[in-house]
Order: sequence, then structure tokens, then C-alpha cells
Amino acid sequence: MTTPSTRHPRPHADVLRDTATLTGRILRHWRGRPVSILLGLLFPVLMVVMFGYIFGGAMAAPGGKYMDFLIPGMLAMTMLFGLESMVVSVTNDTAKGITERIRSMPITTTAVLAGRSAADILNSVVGLAIMIATGLLVGWAPNRSLLQALASVGLLLWLRFAFTWVGIYLGLLLKTPESAVAVQVLVWPVGFLSSAFVSPDTMPAWLDAIATWNPLSATATAIRELFGNPSWSAGGWANQHSIMLALAWPAVLTVIFLPLAVRQYRALAA
Amino acid sequence: MSATTTETGTSFVPAAETLGAVLAPGARPPRPGALSASMTFGWRAMLKIKHVPEQLFDVTAFPIMMTLMFTYLFGGALAGSPTEYLQFLLPGIMVTSVVMITMYTGVEVNKDIEKGVFDRFRTLPIWRPSTMVGYLLGDMFRYTMAATVILVVGLVLGFRPQGGVVGVVAAIALLVAFSFAFSWVWTMFGLLLRSEKSVMGISMLVLFPLTFLSNVYVDPATMPGWLQAFVGVNPISHLVTAARSLMAGAADTGEITWVLVSGAVCVAVFGALTMRLYNRR
Repeated sequence: MTTPSTRHPRPHADVLRDTATLTGRILRHWRGRPVSILLGLLFPVLMVVMFGYIFGGAMAAPGGKYMDFLIPGMLAMTMLFGLESMVVSVTNDTAKGITERIRSMPITTTAVLAGRSAADILNSVVGLAIMIATGLLVGWAPNRSLLQALASVGLLLWLRFAFTWVGIYLGLLLKTPESAVAVQVLVWPVGFLSSAFVSPDTMPAWLDAIATWNPLSATATAIRELFGNPSWSAGGWANQHSIMLALAWPAVLTVIFLPLAVRQYRALAA
Repeated sequence: MSATTTETGTSFVPAAETLGAVLAPGARPPRPGALSASMTFGWRAMLKIKHVPEQLFDVTAFPIMMTLMFTYLFGGALAGSPTEYLQFLLPGIMVTSVVMITMYTGVEVNKDIEKGVFDRFRTLPIWRPSTMVGYLLGDMFRYTMAATVILVVGLVLGFRPQGGVVGVVAAIALLVAFSFAFSWVWTMFGLLLRSEKSVMGISMLVLFPLTFLSNVYVDPATMPGWLQAFVGVNPISHLVTAARSLMAGAADTGEITWVLVSGAVCVAVFGALTMRLYNRR
């Protein structure tokens, strides 16, 4: 009589290794479609050219240099644009059955979602580098220390990290790539109803309130302060505490959407 | 009725008179005229809108969103106040929104080719260009609708055209006429390119620079010299200036003539190219 083979308990998954593997998977995917990635990275550049040169001369910006006001706003805006591509990427994986395959593997939920987040952060670092280079080319002049510049980049990546979880959650919620287009309805109003392009002071009172308390505005105003660029605003609590808000808003978004994303991912089996 | 014997059996070939009696019991209807055929295809385009009302999103929601966004978000920074900016912006936004939806003509043509409907039309005893003209007639309704939607939104927001009803109607008529002419560019691409996505891609590539690098949003005098040069020769800028002048009650005959002539050139060049491609398919 043969003895039944004893099933060895699987050792605890190495979360960091799994995260790195899944991050690598997404990065390899991007290598396979360079055109769409390039277009995604260059779209904010197009926006800078459009707003800077077409509207710039007509904008009543402080100090007469609209580019100095615009570039920090566009850096913040670049962090928001990633949300759409994240949703499309997640819904594509769900539609193709890849998410189901990954779920059947001995990989923790943390590693799967953190892998996506890490890949997105790496992508946004490239996006930021392109945007900063564009800004310097068109005459943007940050005039503070390198440390403050790095702090600005840190705040931008912190915002992107928060938006990543919003994107993952929405991607898991929407399921189909076609419905992912609906995210534009969220991205564009959030982007434009902010201080990215113009000061909320120039808007009607009801819009001013929305734009002032927009998470994107907090980061845009904070990095303007850190880069030493004009803020074009008459003060107010939100403007005076912009760095604090730039730290708080992404934290709030992460606290809300990270657990929701994890819960939604686990609920896929149901 | 005659019978023919073959290796496989007997097949019956009906006599010509018998066939004639079955297939043509009445007199053959007259061949439809050019206008009649074009109107029929125009009605077909209208029915498509009725059955797929989502098509109207670009004609309604998008223009409203653009008008509200630019008026309230940028109006204060660009002109001191949203109401003041609206007087300058509205004719331009109207032109932008209508010109942007001209690309759907090419998309529709391409869709019909893909489905094989197009080949059916080509077998009909009708005036050859009527299918193309039909698409454009249906689209003219969309253009008029988009322009009207923007005008109504503008009036609600505080736009007050000095040219009155006559000026506004003339501006919309000029815009629709130019858009009809401009649509021939996209019918050509609809026949030329293989997929619907390609048609949309090419049209976006052309339309975005044309509409944004123009005098729609700001006075070109505030732009850098190299941009001003492009804005000056951009046909959209001429159309916007003409529409603004009509709505302001001070018709700029030079610009209106420029728009009408460029429209005629569009029809002559791209209409001819479209028909050549259509006949060679």
C-alpha cells in the first residue's frame, strides 16, 4: 500500500519579491506598446504649449509671466492624468482574464496591488522628468534650493500615489475597458476646477470655493511655494496652509481608496 | 415552360414572358432625380440619429461643457469677467463645436463601407454622388442643432448679439455652409482609410490644431509672432471672424467672401477626390 503524499504547507509569499515581479510585468507590457505610452507622456507637454502660448499672453498672471504659474499647475495635472491610464490598464486585465489568473496564484493581494502602484509611480517619475524639462525649455524659472525642488517632487509623487489607489479601485469596479472612458468625466472636471491653470480668485464665488479646496489645487499651490513661483492668490486659509493640505489630501484619499481597492479585488471571486 | 435535361436530373427554365409577368407586373418606376435621391439618403442619416440618440452627445453635451468651462473658468483671467468674455467667446465656441463634429461624416461613411451597405447603394440606379450628399445633408441637421444649442446656452449665460436675429441666423447659415463644404475632406478620408479609428485619428490630428491655433479663445495679438502667422492663415480664424462680425451686426464682407470661396474650393477639390475614390472602389 502506498502512503499518501503529505502536502507541504506553502511558505509565506515573499511580498516584496512578488511586488517586484508584478511591477516588472507591467513595465514589460509598456515596452510592448511604446506609442501609447509616449502619447500619454507627451499629452501634458501639448497642454503646456497650448495654454502657455495660446492663452499665456492674454492671462492676467502675476509678474506678467504666466509660464511660472502654469508649469507647477501642469506638474500637478500630470499626476492626475495617470488615473485614466490606470483604470484602462486594470479593466483590460480584468476583461482578458489576467486578473483571475493572478488571483489563482499564491500571491498576496498586497503584492498584486502594490505592483500596479509601484509601476505607476515609476511611470510618473518619467512623466515628471519630461514635464520639468519642458518647463525649463519654455522659460519656467524655479528659484529655490534643490532640497525644496525635491520636496516638490515628493509632494507630486505623494499625490500620484493617492490617485493610483483611486484608479485601481475604479478599474476593479468598472470591469470593462469601454466603461473606463467614463473616468474622463471625473478627470477633466477635477483637473480644470482647480488652480492648475488660473487662480480660483478669477472665478465666480461658487467655483472659487470648489477650486480652492480641490486636492489638485493644494498640491499645485504648495509646489508653487516650494519652487518660489507666484501663486496669484489673495491669501485665504487654504493658500496659507497649502503644504499641510498637500500632505493631508493624498493621505485622506489613500485611507479611503486603498482599503476599497483591496476589498474590491478580494470581492472579484464572489 | 421548357425543360432541360442534365446529368444530375431535369431543371426547369421558365420562359421570358412568364418571368416578366411575375417580376414586373406594373410599369417600371422612373429613375429618381438627383435631389430626390440625395434627400432620401439624407433622411436615412436622420433615422440613424433617431435610432442611436447617443450620437447627439457630441452635438449637445460637449458644446455646453466647453462653453461653461471657458466662460467661467478662464473668463475672469482672460477678459476681466465671464460675461465680458462670453461676448467674445460664443461665436468662436460655436464654430469650434460644429467644425469638430464634421469628422463624423467620414466615420459614418467608413462604417457603411465596413458593413457592406455601401456596395448595395452602388448597385442602385441613382445619381452617383447622392449617397455622399445624403450623409452631408443629415449632418447639416446636426450642425444646425449644435449651433442652436450653443446659442441658447449663450443667451442663458448672458450673450447679447448686437446683430439681432438676422445677424445670428446669417452667422449660423455661414457656419453650416462652410461645415458642409469642409465635411467633404472627411468623406474622402472615410473612403481612403481602412478603419473607423484611423478616420477619427487623422481628423483629430487636423482638427485640434485648426481649432485651438485660431482666434477662437483669445485675440491673436496676445500670441507670439510665429503663432500669429499660423492663426492668420488658418481658415477657422477667418470663419470665426466672419461669424463674429455677423453676430455683432457689422458684417465683414471680406472675411465672409473668404469663407465662401474657401468653402467652394473645398467642395471642388475634395468633392471631386471623394467621387473619384467612390467610383474606383
